[in-house]
Amino acid sequence: MLGFSTKSDKARAEFEGLVAPWLDALYGGALRLTRNERDAEDLVQDSVMRAYRFFDKFERGTNFRAWLFKILTNTFINGYRRQVKERSLGDESERQSVEAQFFSADTTEQAQNPEDFMIQRVMSEDVLKAIDTLPIDFRMVVILADLQEFSYKEIAEILDVPVGTVMSRLFRGRRQLEAVLRKREQIEEAPLVDLNAYRERKKLA
Amino acid sequence: MTSVEANTEMNCRDVEPLLMAYLDGEVVEADRLEVERHLADCALCAKQSEVSRHNRTLIRTLAKAGTPPAPEALRSKVFTTVRAEQAQQRQRRFLRLSAAAAGVALCAFVGNQQWRSFQRRLYVEDAVSRHARQFPLEVRLPQPEALEAWFDGKLGHRVAVPRFPNAVAEGARVLNVREKQAAYIRYDAPTRASARPRQVGLFVFGDNGNDVDVGARAAPDLGNSNGYNVVSWREGDIVYQLVTDLEEDDIRELLPDNPGRAPLPAVRPAPRPALEAQPASFQR
Repeated sequence: MLGFSTKSDKARAEFEGLVAPWLDALYGGALRLTRNERDAEDLVQDSVMRAYRFFDKFERGTNFRAWLFKILTNTFINGYRRQVKERSLGDESERQSVEAQFFSADTTEQAQNPEDFMIQRVMSEDVLKAIDTLPIDFRMVVILADLQEFSYKEIAEILDVPVGTVMSRLFRGRRQLEAVLRKREQIEEAPLVDLNAYRERKKLA
Repeated sequence: MTSVEANTEMNCRDVEPLLMAYLDGEVVEADRLEVERHLADCALCAKQSEVSRHNRTLIRTLAKAGTPPAPEALRSKVFTTVRAEQAQQRQRRFLRLSAAAAGVALCAFVGNQQWRSFQRRLYVEDAVSRHARQFPLEVRLPQPEALEAWFDGKLGHRVAVPRFPNAVAEGARVLNVREKQAAYIRYDAPTRASARPRQVGLFVFGDNGNDVDVGARAAPDLGNSNGYNVVSWREGDIVYQLVTDLEEDDIRELLPDNPGRAPLPAVRPAPRPALEAQPASFQR
């Protein structure tokens, strides 16, 4: 029994060391997949647990971050997709909780340049909400490419689709994203969101 | 990634689907050069490229900036659960191992029990057949003390000749049961049913190796074979095996006076194969 337990302790310590740096990224991805904090936490929890159970199947020296996100997306697709769909996207209480988080966090950062900070906060929220409106296939690719900065090849492996599919989904996903944001900003012509233009409009208003 | 023939120049329609991949640095070298040549020539596509690059950067920056870190509670919860899972796995492994060990032990136990009962049966059967063959006695003496004296030195163990009430020793000899030397003493015992006494054969084994194994119990064990009743019991390293065609009640008459011995158990019939089909004449 002693042999088993020491080996298992070592594996667990190794696993914890590998996972810890990516918990924020996993949570950020989960938040965009599930579109609410409670489900995102559950999804991360489930995914990490699954990763731990299959840790002996992970080939040492290969891309651990991609492996984790493959488990995250699979867990989401298998268990959370239907459940999350039942919640309405524009749930007011969730929206408020997101906003509360925006305005409560990081007071030091706010103090340095309060106006820019506020503008960026609001714009960030707009972008995230726009991502949340994308159909799940496009959303997953956008999350992996733009939020997590995986390469096309990594995304293809994570989602088990050809690289060409990743390319076309990302192209269409980003186009839709731009369209949503342009609509919000009421600008017909690109560039769609420009910090300086935004400031100018604010001053004029 | 689409590769376009080098000799045909890309037009706006060729470039558009490649633009995102180009901005992500995900087109092959040949395509990258083609796209760049087209962007240098086409103001419209160059503008579109600039806008797309700007939007891409903006979306990335804003999306990342607006994403909160994992809550501290989640972080600790995740690792607590991993530890709990590890403990559970360990416990499951332990239970599995214990179950396997218990299974092996049970098999060994059952196997040993069956082996012993099989061995016991072989001794019983051989003792019965030896007794039934009426081997000639080597010595004919009625007094137990005289028989004990006669056996002295003949076997590897001392032979105490039991006294049975109403039974008279006829004589004795050395006799092998399953290649194991035993003292054999023949008695005549009275019966309640008839006036004629019946023969009782008693085998005395030195059995410190538990070969004959009557269950390592002091309590007599009653079995039967080929119409004979066999009573076995152990006194220390000595095993007694009494073979007789006396009825059970007569055996009880014979044995009760032996001090410190447990009462005779109910007779255990020899195992007989179960009849699954009977001849027509047996069916009603």
